[in-house]
Amino acid sequence: MTFSQAISYFLREACSSLVRSWKVSLVAISTITMSLFLTGVFLLVSSNLRQLISGWEEESKLVLYLETAATVEDQKRLINKLEQAEWASSVNLVTATEGAERFRQAFPSLGELLEGWGDGAIPSSLEIVLNRQALPAQADFDSWLESLRHDTAVSTIDDDRDWLTQLEAVVFAVEALGMVLGLVLLVTAVFTISSVIRLTAYLYRDEIAVMRLVGATEFFIRGPFYMEGVLQGLVGGGCALVTLAGGHYLLLRQSADSPLSLLADKFLGPAELLSLLALGGLAGFIGAITSLRRESLGQTAEVDPEWEQEG
Amino acid sequence: MIELFSVTKRYASGQVGLDNVTLKIDAGQMVFLTGPSGAGKSTFLKLIYCEEIPSSGSILVNGRNVSSLPRRKVPYLRRTIGVVFQSFRLIPRKTVFENICYLPRILGSSAQEQKELAYETLRRVSLSHRMNASPHQLSGGEQQRVAIARALMNQPEILLADEPTGNLDPELSEEILRLFLEINGQGTTVIFATHDRDLIQRVGRRVLTLEAGQLTGDQKLPGELNDAIGPGQGTMGPGQGTIDLEEEA
Repeated sequence: MTFSQAISYFLREACSSLVRSWKVSLVAISTITMSLFLTGVFLLVSSNLRQLISGWEEESKLVLYLETAATVEDQKRLINKLEQAEWASSVNLVTATEGAERFRQAFPSLGELLEGWGDGAIPSSLEIVLNRQALPAQADFDSWLESLRHDTAVSTIDDDRDWLTQLEAVVFAVEALGMVLGLVLLVTAVFTISSVIRLTAYLYRDEIAVMRLVGATEFFIRGPFYMEGVLQGLVGGGCALVTLAGGHYLLLRQSADSPLSLLADKFLGPAELLSLLALGGLAGFIGAITSLRRESLGQTAEVDPEWEQEG
Repeated sequence: MIELFSVTKRYASGQVGLDNVTLKIDAGQMVFLTGPSGAGKSTFLKLIYCEEIPSSGSILVNGRNVSSLPRRKVPYLRRTIGVVFQSFRLIPRKTVFENICYLPRILGSSAQEQKELAYETLRRVSLSHRMNASPHQLSGGEQQRVAIARALMNQPEILLADEPTGNLDPELSEEILRLFLEINGQGTTVIFATHDRDLIQRVGRRVLTLEAGQLTGDQKLPGELNDAIGPGQGTMGPGQGTIDLEEEA
């Protein structure tokens, strides 16, 4: 028998077994669907969060809020100092009046708060857009920031990178949680598939015994079971992807304006989808291998009370 | 040809299956293996088709030492040996055709080749008309003939039968026995394990007697059926010719 003939035979037998014992197969497929769906959800959320962070990083700024007592000379001196740094792609002065106007536009309902404060409510500031490619080593950058902090004209420094770093930590936590949860669920799926394959092997023990008797090799006997495991994994993976795509479509349709949609703005790419599918197939294959350890299949094939009584 | 040299089989439980057995069975012979339950008949057969490995001694099957045969080579040995059991071992959810076509399928025969081979083999056991029947639609004798057909599918050089008439009434037993004699008449070496001494007396041929794992007798008996059917030293090759029990009867 050629390899392609064997694969075709394994496929036929595996499909027929899946159909014949569809109830137990459904349990295995459901488990793997659930685990890969959840893994996919975490992957989707984390990849969208990463993309958001990457976009925000591109737009991130360093804002130097100046003391109210800072003079125009102080502003010029600081601008000159900032422009000398090669990682500062642009430096923009925002006057107290412009700052107050921005506040009113951003928070219209809070605009009245500024009325009693006059022009000094929002201090003047210097907005620096950073060129990320030109940034120095972290220690050098921190020391540069420190020198700015100690400048008498500078009140506070707001670095967007601080909260972006915190957000990155959140994404990392989401990814780690997703990985752990996905791994736990995948292990559960592997055990479920393993049990289902073991049960199938037990149900077919009479046939396995006959196949051994007439000279079937281990490859030929185990092949259909391995294929069944892989098929269960692939079908489970396929179902997970369809559910994920359906959920994604519904989410964007129902709540396109909601902040939630930001977490699922872009669907997974082909490589990620194929990886999830392959993960399903691999889980099925591992499940089949663990269920058909040599002694396990040997026992199912040979222990038959009626047959053992002979002779 | 089958040769055993001082073969002993001792199980993990301490029970002795075979105890220092030495014998030779020529190619084309039909040999009866008899003895009470637990005498070692099944162990003897299992050692030949490598279901068991001897604790000591050597077994040559057609010149090949099977006692030291690597596990992965056992399937290839089994393709040259047909085995028939008391309980038929047919798969109830498969048709007769499917039950006997395991080996051709393993060997990659086409559907048409499988069909032709199955028809030809079933014709040898007079069951070609029941190709699509399920085992439960067949009588005990028919089921055993299907099991024999399965064993014959690869035209084996050796046919081992472990109490093949144990579940059958005397009439059906004789029918099955005639079938084995016919197969042997075509050159296949047959080892027929049975505790039915009457059956052996009627047939004759070489009789090996086992008791508590030891070979206690090796004699050649004449018999009614022996004279009627032939000497059992067939000159035709395995798988040649056809058998029609109904015509014979």
